[in-house]
Amino acid sequence: MPMKKFINDPANLTKELLEGLALCYSGKVKIVSEKIVVRATPKDSGKVAIVTLGGAGHEPALSGFVGEGLLDASVVGDIFAAPGAPKVLEALRMFKRDAGIVLVTLNHAGDRMSASKALRDAQKEGINVREIVTHEDISAGVDTPEEDKRGLAGCIPLYKIIGAAAEAGKSLDEVVEIGERFSKQMATLAVAMSGCTHPQNGGTIAVLPDDEMEIGMGQHGEAGGGRTKILTADETAERMIAPLVQATGVKAGDTALLLINGTGATTHMEMLIVYRKAAQLLASKGVKLVSGGCGEYLTVQEMAGFQMILCKLDADHAECLKAKARTPYWTA
Amino acid sequence: MLSLSQFKTMVAAAGVDIRAGEKRFSELDAASGGDGDHGTAIVTAFNAMAKAGGDDFKSYLKALSDALQNEACGSTSALYGAWLQGMSDAAPEGAAELDAAALAKVFGGGLEELGFTTRARVGDKTLMDALIPATEALVSAQGGGIGAMFRQAAEAAEKGAEATCAMRAKFGRAKNLGDRSVGPRDAGAASMACIFAAFAKTVK
Repeated sequence: MPMKKFINDPANLTKELLEGLALCYSGKVKIVSEKIVVRATPKDSGKVAIVTLGGAGHEPALSGFVGEGLLDASVVGDIFAAPGAPKVLEALRMFKRDAGIVLVTLNHAGDRMSASKALRDAQKEGINVREIVTHEDISAGVDTPEEDKRGLAGCIPLYKIIGAAAEAGKSLDEVVEIGERFSKQMATLAVAMSGCTHPQNGGTIAVLPDDEMEIGMGQHGEAGGGRTKILTADETAERMIAPLVQATGVKAGDTALLLINGTGATTHMEMLIVYRKAAQLLASKGVKLVSGGCGEYLTVQEMAGFQMILCKLDADHAECLKAKARTPYWTA
Repeated sequence: MLSLSQFKTMVAAAGVDIRAGEKRFSELDAASGGDGDHGTAIVTAFNAMAKAGGDDFKSYLKALSDALQNEACGSTSALYGAWLQGMSDAAPEGAAELDAAALAKVFGGGLEELGFTTRARVGDKTLMDALIPATEALVSAQGGGIGAMFRQAAEAAEKGAEATCAMRAKFGRAKNLGDRSVGPRDAGAASMACIFAAFAKTVK
């Protein structure tokens, strides 16, 4: 089937979508040096800066979460492709400060290589920067080695947590500790019903038969294992919540955050129905949920499906979630 | 001897063949579990490299690496950037031509630097399956002259790329596909073999 999208020259997708973001949310973000999205009003330079990097085509992630209370900058690559190391280094130089920088990297090959090179170069220049790598995807199994787990939409609540800690004036060590602890207590599982087209070349990613779905499909259609005939919302939620509970270690009396991230073609109606069942299951286990989220945080073009993100919260994490946020796509 | 102008012609020829293969590289990428944009990425890399200049091997290779890292995205940026940087580091100061031994050193240096950037080796279904045997063949064919070095390298690269069909991906996004990654040729190995083939036919 030919690609059906409202686009112009496929070579300019990233540039044009960033221009749109900056025009639409001009009070919150602006573009510098072509592919670095920063806050319209910078944070006090005495506070830790939060920078992230990643490909485009996943809107509103990652750049839609730049703003007060979350990210200071997002370094953008091209569609589904990480920015090169020089661009990441440029952003780190821009935010060089005594308080330090946290660089959040999602565990994907290209992102990791660019981030590692930029970090080496930055540290040689005396830039005070630490990295948090997210790898919360459990689609290959709860006991998969960390290096083999991908970073999915769990980076978004992580931005919220460490962003709030940085705004509160915590030190670099403290922000990293809060973030690493949160990162270890969160897990994501994805499910897809259909693949998507690559918006630059029209190629099809991840083809699924009409009557099948796949639990564990990642954010570019990378397969994760569990193909089945299509299940109901309740059956799907049941199948997903069990491994997420196991991975996060959440138990009776614990507080948790539950997010449903639509990947592009799944309706809010469906997401809410799934959230309902997942929340009921957690409540029956005695888990207390804080105010959660259903919506599109990190999409994969028109892929039908969602990611379910469960995060076990410590008291400081819950406080950070409530703190003020003013970004294009997360306000609190 | 390989002159710099000959080498620039080889890079341009590789760019022509890479552009011609763009769609195939993206399809191979999607077929073996990647996100279907290797063709886009490698063409972006060659378009960036086309803007690089330099009066000797060292500075030209450095300019290629910088241009590519600045404009290309994803793994291609880091992997090709490291390969070309390593080649530049191993090139003699100010040389505008290389003899067989210096050429072997340049390609050896590229592979060595790349080895620090990725843990992938032969058998992991990546571009390394083409590049490692190609570099080894190029180095061991030194006695036969420049033309033989690139011919042997191209043959080894092609053989290495073909061997990836039977492999299960262990790196990059394709690794998540598991057994379903077996069958198609790895896109990165395919484009690397294409580059060496273009080098071989251009150098004569």
